Amino acid sequence: MRLLEASLLDFRNLAEVQLSFSPGVNVLLGDNGHGKTNVLEALNYPALARSFRGARDEELIRFGSEACHLRLAIAEGEKILDIEVGLDRGGRRRMRVDGDEVHRRVELVGRLATVVFDPQTVELVRGGPEMRRRWFDQGISSVDSEYLIHLQAANRALKQKASLLRDVRRGFSSLGTVSRDLETWNAELAAHAAPLVRKRADWLSRAAQAGRDSYMDLSDEKQELQLVYKQGVGSEDPGGTDADFSREILAVLDYITSDEIRRGRCLSGPQTDDVDIILDGVSLRTYGSRGETRTAAISLKLAQAEIVYGMRGVRPVLFFDDIFSELDKDRSRKLQERTAKDHQVFIATARAEDVAGWEPAGASTWTVHEGVVTIR
Amino acid sequence: MDHATPTPREAAKGNDGGEFQSPALERLVRALGRLPGLGRKSATRIALELVQGGGETAAELAESVTAAREQVRTCSRCGAITEDDPCRICCSDKRDSALLCVVASPVDILPFEKAGFFQGRYFVLGRLLSPLDGVRVDDLPFDRLDARIREHDVRELILALDSSVEGEATALYIQRMIEDLDLSLTRLATGIPVGGALAYTDEATLHRAFQFRRSF
Ligand SMILES: Nc1ncnc2c1ncn2[C@@H]1O[C@H](COP(=O)(O)OP(=O)(O)OP(=O)(O)O)[C@@H](O)[C@H]1O
Ligand SMILES: [Mg+2]
Ligand SMILES: [Zn+2]
Repeated sequence: MRLLEASLLDFRNLAEVQLSFSPGVNVLLGDNGHGKTNVLEALNYPALARSFRGARDEELIRFGSEACHLRLAIAEGEKILDIEVGLDRGGRRRMRVDGDEVHRRVELVGRLATVVFDPQTVELVRGGPEMRRRWFDQGISSVDSEYLIHLQAANRALKQKASLLRDVRRGFSSLGTVSRDLETWNAELAAHAAPLVRKRADWLSRAAQAGRDSYMDLSDEKQELQLVYKQGVGSEDPGGTDADFSREILAVLDYITSDEIRRGRCLSGPQTDDVDIILDGVSLRTYGSRGETRTAAISLKLAQAEIVYGMRGVRPVLFFDDIFSELDKDRSRKLQERTAKDHQVFIATARAEDVAGWEPAGASTWTVHEGVVTIR
Repeated sequence: MDHATPTPREAAKGNDGGEFQSPALERLVRALGRLPGLGRKSATRIALELVQGGGETAAELAESVTAAREQVRTCSRCGAITEDDPCRICCSDKRDSALLCVVASPVDILPFEKAGFFQGRYFVLGRLLSPLDGVRVDDLPFDRLDARIREHDVRELILALDSSVEGEATALYIQRMIEDLDLSLTRLATGIPVGGALAYTDEATLHRAFQFRRSF
């Protein structure tokens, strides 16, 4: 998959930018605060139908403007995909794919496959479980269009259930009056949890394989990276249909209801899933060195890219925002060369030495200065 | 340029939350603003049109609101909007009592009746389960639904509920409620977009969803 062209209007500090990209390596150079990450954020927006920095849509609109607009031409094999997004301060989001309006995020998410490497990436290993959930949620969404539907539904069911538990705890409702409601919402939650857990287990086993290979590749020590899926709702997958599995999950949820009522919140479910990241038998989150942690986090992102290729047959576009300053020169170069072989890559950095001496064929280099992007 | 009378649209546009010098007009704007889907801006535009606009609109509106409030009721059997109780559909002997279609809102009956293929009767729940909005099992007429199924010897219950999480949960509850009864339970097939609302589904989609309803 390749980004061919982009035009951005009033996106962050980028008033009006039109770019045609190299199918290989694209480097964005510029001093701190001039708009490099903003460019990557815009290019990546369609992949998640939101900012990869976790910003709200409104923050993306240039100060003093009412709306922002972006349009991308993307090549996937022979096909060319035309994606347009408009956001305004009233919270409206207009999305078009090949000229046809789409109304829901799930219809846009994943059409453009990308993987982002930024300074936040190490949090994947070092941070809390929500960082790892965000990683696999994004990773799975980009290869499985049903996933996001189940995820959103499970989250909604959890909210509904949580409000029941809260009311009982505060004494607004008696247990007797909500027990049928709790059973119903547990059943609804279980119906979506079953496919979620299965998809996660499958994706994580692929990620474990690919992550292990990447780590071996990047590090000189021959250490073994391992992923272990920690399923939050502790029930065995009996095999069979999703309905069979959801009955197992429901049994566990019903079993812990009295605990949940006592605590006044949801205790178990797919929202508590996590992944243990282990290097040579030792938990990296607890014991990893800085270098190990960083290399492992990058390996997991590379694994995400590998799965996209394995399951969809396309190579995602890779964004490297300011990560080479964190790596030593050898490892940086290894990562750059390894990824540029198969992927279109975008590298944003304030330090020209990050890419010095590396001159891949057909690369484009841009300067980003006060929101203006010019080719070198 | 002539500054005499701005059109209602222009007048409303300049309105950024200040108040008119007429308490009567303010009262009307506020009353309109309490209607679902109307913000202050639209309420202002409508109020000005009613007060200053020509024609019979205002009088007609006042009269039709009064008349509708007097005549409109909900059918005590099915919950449809009607002027006669029980409603035309419940009274008709051409309708098959053994087929009962469960919908969330009286509005959801309209696309079925417009398309005209459905020959059974309806049961309106009024709302969908949603604790976040304060709607619990006890708030929905499940007891009446249960009685209706038993008394009218219903053979097939068709759940035509939105495919939202709330619609699914409501369907799950009904499924468990009638588990022990001898009747078939079906849901509209996925012609209706996920998360889609029934009332906004076109006839062809609805008919397809009905034909391919699946047992549940
Ligand atoms: N909505 C907005 N409208 C206008 N300017 C904005 C908006 N949002 C952010 N900015 C500006 O964009 C600049 C930051 O841009 P960006 O994060 O892309 O910098 P960068 O080039 O990646 O810098 P660094 O090298 O430090 O990462 C800041 O000066 C910020 O004030
Ligand atoms: Mg930056
Ligand atoms: Zn009736």
